[in-house]
This record gives sequence, C-alpha cells and structure tokens, in this order.
Amino acid sequence: MKTSAGSLESSDCLITISDSDKLEIIIESVVFAQFGDQIKEVITNTLKEHKITNILVKCADKGALDYTIKSRLETALKRRGDINE
Amino acid sequence: MEHEKRQIVKVINDIDELFTLVDISLNRNISFHHHLRNGDYVINYVLNKYLKEKVQGINLFPSAIFPSYTSILELIKNKQINNITTNYLNGPVAEYISNNGLEGKLTMQTHGGRARSIIEGKNKIDIAFIAAPYVNSYGDSVGYLGKNKCGSLGYSIPDSVHAKIKVLVTDNLVDLDIESPEIDGSNIDYILLVDEIGDRQGIVSGTTEVTKNPIGVKIAKNTSLLLHELGAIKHGFSFQSGAGGVSLRVTKDVRDIMIKENIKASFFSGGITKYHVDMLEEGLVEKLYDVQCFDLEAIESLSRNKMHIPISASRYANPTDESQIIKDLDIVILGATEIDYNFNVNVTTDSHQTLIGGSGGHSDTASESKICVIVSPLIKGRIPVIKERVTTITTLGKNIDCLVTERGIAINPLRKDLIKKLKNSKLKIVTIEELSRIAYKFTNIPQDIVKHDKIIGEVEDRTFEIIDNIYQK
Amino acid sequence: MSRSYLFIPGNTPSMIQNLDVFESDAVIIDFEDSVTSYDKDSARILIKNFLKKYSYKDIDLYIRINSYDSLYFLEDVKATKDLDINGYVLPKASVKAIEELNKLSSKAIIPIIESPMALLEAKEIADQENVTALLLGAEDYTKELGINRTLLGTEILYARSFIAIVARAYNIDSIDTPYTNKEDEVGLKEDSLNAKNLGFTSKSSIHPNQVDIINQVFSPSKEEITEAKRIVKKALDNTKGAFSLDGKMIDLPIIEKAKNLLDKAKKYNM
Repeated sequence: MKTSAGSLESSDCLITISDSDKLEIIIESVVFAQFGDQIKEVITNTLKEHKITNILVKCADKGALDYTIKSRLETALKRRGDINE
Repeated sequence: MEHEKRQIVKVINDIDELFTLVDISLNRNISFHHHLRNGDYVINYVLNKYLKEKVQGINLFPSAIFPSYTSILELIKNKQINNITTNYLNGPVAEYISNNGLEGKLTMQTHGGRARSIIEGKNKIDIAFIAAPYVNSYGDSVGYLGKNKCGSLGYSIPDSVHAKIKVLVTDNLVDLDIESPEIDGSNIDYILLVDEIGDRQGIVSGTTEVTKNPIGVKIAKNTSLLLHELGAIKHGFSFQSGAGGVSLRVTKDVRDIMIKENIKASFFSGGITKYHVDMLEEGLVEKLYDVQCFDLEAIESLSRNKMHIPISASRYANPTDESQIIKDLDIVILGATEIDYNFNVNVTTDSHQTLIGGSGGHSDTASESKICVIVSPLIKGRIPVIKERVTTITTLGKNIDCLVTERGIAINPLRKDLIKKLKNSKLKIVTIEELSRIAYKFTNIPQDIVKHDKIIGEVEDRTFEIIDNIYQK
Repeated sequence: MSRSYLFIPGNTPSMIQNLDVFESDAVIIDFEDSVTSYDKDSARILIKNFLKKYSYKDIDLYIRINSYDSLYFLEDVKATKDLDINGYVLPKASVKAIEELNKLSSKAIIPIIESPMALLEAKEIADQENVTALLLGAEDYTKELGINRTLLGTEILYARSFIAIVARAYNIDSIDTPYTNKEDEVGLKEDSLNAKNLGFTSKSSIHPNQVDIINQVFSPSKEEITEAKRIVKKALDNTKGAFSLDGKMIDLPIIEKAKNLLDKAKKYNM
C-alpha cells in the first residue's frame, strides 16, 4: 500500500511510502548538499521511534525543516495504519 | 552653427561589410552593454560573425551577461573565448562557466570599476559594439527614444569614448539634431544598421513590483524604522534602492515617512523605476541620476522630466571620477545571497557555487554611501543567509553597515557611531553571530560544501584589488 | 488584552514557522477553513510536532479547531489538548458546543459568533466557563442572513454593537471580524476604527500585512495614555471614591478603565 503526505510548496516536503522488504530511503532535495544527511537522519529516527523497519520512503523536499519532515512522514504512516495516535 | 562642421559618421549596412573595413582577427577584445537586457539582439548578431569566422582568443567585456546571450556559450564551448570581464552574469553562460571555467579567466568587476578600467586603459577594448535605440547621422545617440528604447545608456559611455573602434548598432537612424546626447557622435567610427536591435518584451521586463510577501514587508518596515531612528531620513538626504521587491518596499515606507514629516530628498541614484519617477513628480525628490531604467515608466520619464538625468557609469560610480554621484550618497539599500560574520556580502554566486549575478553597483555604493543596509530574509529555503564565510566575496564587510532581517538587525561593530545612536532603540538589535544562532534554531547547521580545487576567476573591487577568487563547482 | 489576532493556515509550514515575525499579539492556527478535509490529520501532526519543538512566550497561541458538528472536532481536541497553547477558537459556537469542549479541555475558549442564533445566545455563550473573548465571524453570519457585506458595514452594525456590549458586560475581550480585502490599507484602517468606536478591544485578520494597522488602531493613543496617567495619579492622591478632573466627574469605573489602558500601553511597549 502506498500513501503520501505533504506538498511541493516551499518549506514543505512530499513524502511517499510504500511496502518494501527492506529499509529504503530516497531523498530529492533542493538543499541536498547542505542537509541531505540530516534529512535522512530525521527519517531514520522517526521510523525507529515508531519501530518500523521495512519500508520504502521517498522524500521530495523543498527546504522543509526537521519538524515538517517528521510530521509528513508520520502522517503518511498514519494513513497506512502503521501508527495510530 | 557649430554642428554644420560636424562629421557625418559612415553608415554600414551589415556586419560582413564592417569586417571588410576592420580586420576581425586583430580585433578580439570586444565590449557590449546590457541595457537591452534579455531582449538584446546585438550581442548574438555580432558574436555569430566571430563564431562563423572561427576567431580565436577573444576577450569579452560585456557589462553584463543575460540568459539570451547564447552565442557567448557557443564561443566558450568552441574554446574561442579566452577571458571574460563583466559585472554581472546569470543563465546558461553563468552555469557553464561555474561548472567548467574558461580557457582564461573570469573577472568580475563593479559598474564603477569597469568604467574606471576602460578609462584608465586597464580594460583595452578593440571594438565597442553599442546597441543604440536612437541615433543621428553625426553618431549622437540617446537611449530613451526609438522603437526599441531602453532608457539610460550609462554603462556604454566609457566604451563609446575609450574603445579603439566604436560602432553604434541601431535600427533607428534619424536625420535630426539630438539635444544633450548621451553618446557623443564625435567619438563614433561607424553606424551599423540592423532590422531590430532587440525585442521590446525582453528589454522592458516590467516585473519589478513592491513586495507583498509578509516576510519582505516586515524586513522593509524594520529597515525604514532603523533609518528613521538613525535620523537618516532628513531634509536633503540622498537615497538609492535597487529594483528588488524588498528594496522597493523600503522606498515606499521611506516615502510614507517623508510625506508624514514633510521631508524632501536631494537625489535618488542608480537603477530607476516607476516608483522613483512618481516621487520625482510628486516633488519628494529633486533629482534622479539614472544609470539604468528598469521599466517603461522610467524610460518615458527621461524624455519628459528635466530633473531625471541619465548619467554614465563613470559619473555614477567611478572612484576616480571627480563628479562621481555616489560620493554624496547617504543611504543605499542592497540585497545579499549570503553575508558572513565579517559582514562580507556575496551576490555573485549561490551557496552551490553557481554564478548567479555579480556586483553591478553593489560594492560601489556600499563603499561610498554613509549608511549601507543589507536587506534579506534570515532563511531562504532552509539556507541561512548568514555564514561563517561567504562562498564568494562581492563586497567587503568593512563597507557594509547594517543587516536587516525579519528576525532582527545586526550592526557592523566597526560602526560604533551607529551602535551608539541605537543604544535605546526599541528595534531588535543583536550581533550577527546571534542572528545566525537564531537561524540555526530553525535550520540546523548546513554542511559546508564549498570546493576550493580550481580557481576559474576572481572578484576585482573598484580599487582594482582582487578581493576573492571564484572556484569551479 | 491582545490587540490583534492573526489567522494562519494550519498545514502550511512556511507560515507556521514564521508565526512570530508578523507582530500579531495573538496567532490563531487554523484547522478549519484553510485546511482541506484530506489534510486535517496532516495539520494536527504538523502543529503537534511544531509546538513540541518551538515555544513562544510573547505571543498568545490559539488553535481554531473544527466545529462541534463536524467530523473532526473530537480528534482536533484530542490531538492538541496537551500542547502549550492558550486555548481554542471555536467556530459555529453555541452553548452546547462550548459545554462539550469544556468536557474535553480546560483551556480558554474564544467562540466565533457567526450565526443569528449564536448572536441571540451571545450572553449565555459569554457566561460559559473558560470563555475569554467573543469573535464576530461576519462572513458566515451575513451568509446565513442572506445579505451581502459592504465596505461600510451597516449590515453588521447591530451584531458588532451587541457583541461589544455583551463582551464588556461579561468582562471579556471582543474581537472584530477580519477585513477581507487584503490590498486595501485605507479601508482596513477605517474598518478597524469603526470597530474600536463600537467598543471592540481587538480585531482579527487573515493576512499578516494587516497586523500593523490593527495594532496601531487598537493601541492606546498618546493622548489617551497621558489622560489615563493623570486620572490614575489623581486617584492615588484622592481618598474619596469620586473626584473631578478638568470639570469632569471621575469615578471608579473610569479609574479602572484608565488602569487597564496603562497596562495595555506598558505591555505593548508604548
């Protein structure tokens, strides 16, 4: 099942997640050179926090801050039923 | 009648004919101006001939390079260009040079520095090709008339006097006297006739508007409050703001203060827009010194308002020109791509080391003005505007006085006088390091990605001092 | 005591992370009209994570949740009741809706009076627990009456007057409806002055560029501050309940009003 959350507006990101038999994170960002590692860390930590291991996360980033990346990922996870808070 | 003794300039009907009179391979240092901006046809028209003739070792001196100047890209790719000396560049040529460099090097000058270099013979120009919207048989010319009018011809004036061969390129040759011409025909060697010197749409883009973006509005408000607290908006003051949306909003806010407090300014200088013209016509400012028109209203004002005066780049900003206008400039409002802890400002490259602009008059006006204010959002798409060290220095920090952002104002510690005046200010005034920390609370610290492997060019200040290198991406 | 209340869309990060730069005394993060049904969950999660990370001591923060009769009311409250906010702005307010909200949270409530029925109920609404202000929502109110809004605002004169009176009577704040033409600064100023003159203590806005003018209008003027200072000073020197100043009778309510005005002036750095 594939779900997404967020947008491609400035300061936002569009996160799409789908099934996978391993952990895969694909990041496309206007600030990849400066913040690519950090975006990956936020995604990894958020997944860990919710104990999710095998998933494909695609993040199309337009300069979102950490709280936004985390929120969009959590929304996508919630829409899949992976978390319910 | 004096003009009856004047020489009629030789008219040439196409570029091939010109090069039967002039040896193309011996005249490889060539200059252009950018007053027709992205609508210019002259640069490509001339350079296509250099492409066709496979002329090698060209040194190019355009006052700026815009995206439509595609022939330059072809010449670079063919390795026909050696050096480029310019004040501003963006688009495909800028991107290509950022990634690949040139055979020789890229020299980034200022508007005042370019004028000075040409006048003092440091930039040796063989042929100046000068797009001219309105020309008479004597070679006199103005830019604010004709079907492809562009306003002031300021940047081309030094070229029109000091190049070895001066060619006016026009689509509008008239048989009339021109009162106070910008270009003096007695210097001109040839008039080259073409069908069109440019495309009207591209010449007057007309896109400079006062910002409505709330962050920009806040920055502008902080700026006008700052200037007011400093007592800088006072009778007879002089002011320059670029055509950026935030700068124009500052102009509007300053205007409101002037009306409220019944203050008149002495002059505005630099690039002129309809907003500046309105203030001239409302009697809020005495004179406009115009080196470049940004919109049609400004162009038309030149032919209507006696006190709207076109000036050459040398008179505008050449530090060795005795009549230099900006020597008397009180306030200038400028932008920044990056600014660092030493207040050095970059408007030449972005944070990915791609060339996206250049000084233009940035360093000139910052150096001469009594108060130089940088206006910028603190954060642009997650990139903080403040860095420990800018990617490229366009303007030295010692010439920058204030940074105004939406989250606070920083004053250069060198300006103890300003800091003292603001001691009891209600504005949020902090150190630039503190402003940087505020930005990091949102963005975190970006990775430093600047490469210093290969030098492709340098930034030359108006003093002729090399103030930074430009590195390949 | 806020002068200005700025609505910002609850699912737009570029606005949310700048909510403190617009100089609004209070900010209302909107979950209702500016967030699509599809993104209600997005907004809740975004604001929760945002407010866990950033806090604002100089700004009053409210969330406009969805109305009690919507599908989202309960979840909106559940997702936000532990956040560091001053309270809720409740659209389509009724006594019943406020009672339900009070069962779920003990935060402050600003009901939006946006129907003829709510206007008739305004006194009861103002009297509910945790209600700290009344906000007039003139767009929906006039829609329900089937009338058009005008620049002059005569069609909402009664509603405005009534809300201002009720709020004053119950000693809570009154917040005027937003001025919807965001380009017209002259109109905004006039509209704000009209509201102030009817007794409103503040005005809401839908665009950050409106905040400046609203703050100006709802700030005490220099003359008002000087006058209030004189009243308070003379009251201190005077042991009797009432006294006369410049030939006018000054009694307790006027002294209280002067004190409030000085508090407001002090808070806003004037």
